Amino acid sequence: MALVEIRNLTKRFRKGDEVITPVLELDLEIEMGDFVSMMGPSGTGKSTLLNLLSGIDKPDGGSIHVDGVEVTRLSRGLLADWRAANLGYIFQTHNLVPVLTAYENVELPALLLPMSSSDRRKRVLLALEAVGLSDRANHYPRQLSGGQEQRVGIARAIVAHPKLVVADEPTGSLDAETSEQIQVLLGRLNRELNITMVMVTHDSDVAAIASRQLRLEHGRIVEGTGKANGGIGNV
Amino acid sequence: MFRFTPYVLKSLWRHRTRTLLTVSGAAVAMLVFCFVASVQQGLERLTSNEDSQRTLIVFQENRFCPTSSRLPEDYARQIAKIPGVRSVLPVQVWTNNCRASLDIVVFNGVPADKLQHARNLTLLSGSWNQFKSQRDSAIIGSNIATRRGLSVGSQFSIGELSIKVCGIFSSPIPSEENLIYTQLAFLQYTKGVDSVGVVTQHEVHLDSSADPDEVANQIDASLRTGPVATTTRRKGVFQTSTLSDLVDIIGFAHWLGYACVGLVLSLIATTMFMSVQDRMKEHAILQTLGVRPWRVFRIVISESLVLCLIGGLLGTLSALSILYFGGMAIGAEGVTIAFRPSVELAILGIGLSLAVGIIAGIVPATQAAWMNIRQNLSS
Repeated sequence: MALVEIRNLTKRFRKGDEVITPVLELDLEIEMGDFVSMMGPSGTGKSTLLNLLSGIDKPDGGSIHVDGVEVTRLSRGLLADWRAANLGYIFQTHNLVPVLTAYENVELPALLLPMSSSDRRKRVLLALEAVGLSDRANHYPRQLSGGQEQRVGIARAIVAHPKLVVADEPTGSLDAETSEQIQVLLGRLNRELNITMVMVTHDSDVAAIASRQLRLEHGRIVEGTGKANGGIGNV
Repeated sequence: MFRFTPYVLKSLWRHRTRTLLTVSGAAVAMLVFCFVASVQQGLERLTSNEDSQRTLIVFQENRFCPTSSRLPEDYARQIAKIPGVRSVLPVQVWTNNCRASLDIVVFNGVPADKLQHARNLTLLSGSWNQFKSQRDSAIIGSNIATRRGLSVGSQFSIGELSIKVCGIFSSPIPSEENLIYTQLAFLQYTKGVDSVGVVTQHEVHLDSSADPDEVANQIDASLRTGPVATTTRRKGVFQTSTLSDLVDIIGFAHWLGYACVGLVLSLIATTMFMSVQDRMKEHAILQTLGVRPWRVFRIVISESLVLCLIGGLLGTLSALSILYFGGMAIGAEGVTIAFRPSVELAILGIGLSLAVGIIAGIVPATQAAWMNIRQNLSS
């Protein structure tokens, strides 16, 4: 059974009198350990799909199952619990909490899980070590470079050992050199920690690090390439 | 439960100027509220204690200021014969100001040998014997001693009166602690008072079975044929009547107290609203990471509570300290209301701060908790 099963997913937005449908009857399956990238022009529903997959937006039709749980049916509170335990989110603009240190930012998702403070500390230090920022644990976001901030964001996304990590343009606000470092890091985390990743990007070079590359147009997946191509609907 | 406490405190510290201004505003408002509440408590204590209900004051009919009431001293003997009367204490009152004043000085001249039994006074320093033996000696309440900086051995003069402090006392009735007790004869013979054989009022202590109002009627009826007609009332009623102007003002002032609470509410709510508006994206991030809406709600309420509690604590503790060390009182026509710190006042101040902190945070907390995550993430 696939880790993620998306069936007949539709999402509509009303903009004045106009109805926009960024996701239309979309089917998709993602296997455990997959690294999926999604590309496509602006407004084709990439971020909307990511938001639906993360449970921060509700679809108008269809369903999303993650590891057997139908996330589209969960209430807002249960969705928050589900995200805390199962989902890591990497933002384009890092979105670190400015008043907290790198350590405290990474610790945030772990605070929501039932574990002792010593276990939590171990996990945070491991996550920071995984992104190569052990020596920056006590630095505040304003004391970090853009690349370091994004690495803290990645550590925060993996600290709870989620089943799925979604990344919304993770290199979108970085220079070329830093972007490449982040790509290498994401690929390494996928391979070495077997973390299932879904990444949205505009950049085909960034998309190329993924094992499956999907292309969205008009709310549907129109093209799929990569090492593991199975499970793609609408192609 | 307290895992997000560092986040709450750091969020407040991030905008420290705003936090400090809000806390200081709340502190000042709670300080004023506690002052107003202490005046109300003082008035309530004065008029509702057992002594005020079981003691009668015999005053000259249709007179209000102590200087205008002149009753024969030997009325005490006639009053003592009335059934239900346990004892009578003739009192000569002298005050530096018949009008409402924050620094009123009230002398009560009483027979030295009767005072110790008539009043439940605890001598904090000095001696009763010196008071009884030395004509110009006085024992003074701890409140006026604090206010005027007097101690045992001090000489205190006001107008034509000059006394030597031979004792400082405390009393379970706070307003008593604003009084200066002298020997009756000393006050009667003082130049300007000119009251030999005359007193301002008689204080009547009743048997436990006596009906105060019935005894009061009997006293007035029996003295009707004397040289001066009298009006006898319960001490509490007498004091309320004497302080009627002040009672009206205090009644109005309690609205000022509520206004202060409203001010704190508005101040904290505004700060929290601004704070939440500034951090909508941050709260959206927290929820994306898996923080439940109710937890976000509690985080915002906690921020509001911390602001209000710090301000409330500072204001309440400042008010209690000023009340404790200031020895303040307000009075008119020889009757005083003591401003005193109390446990009830502390609980009221802190309890109100807690309640206001929660109420002020509800709207901003609701906004932060049930926002549209998608919209606020992309803002």
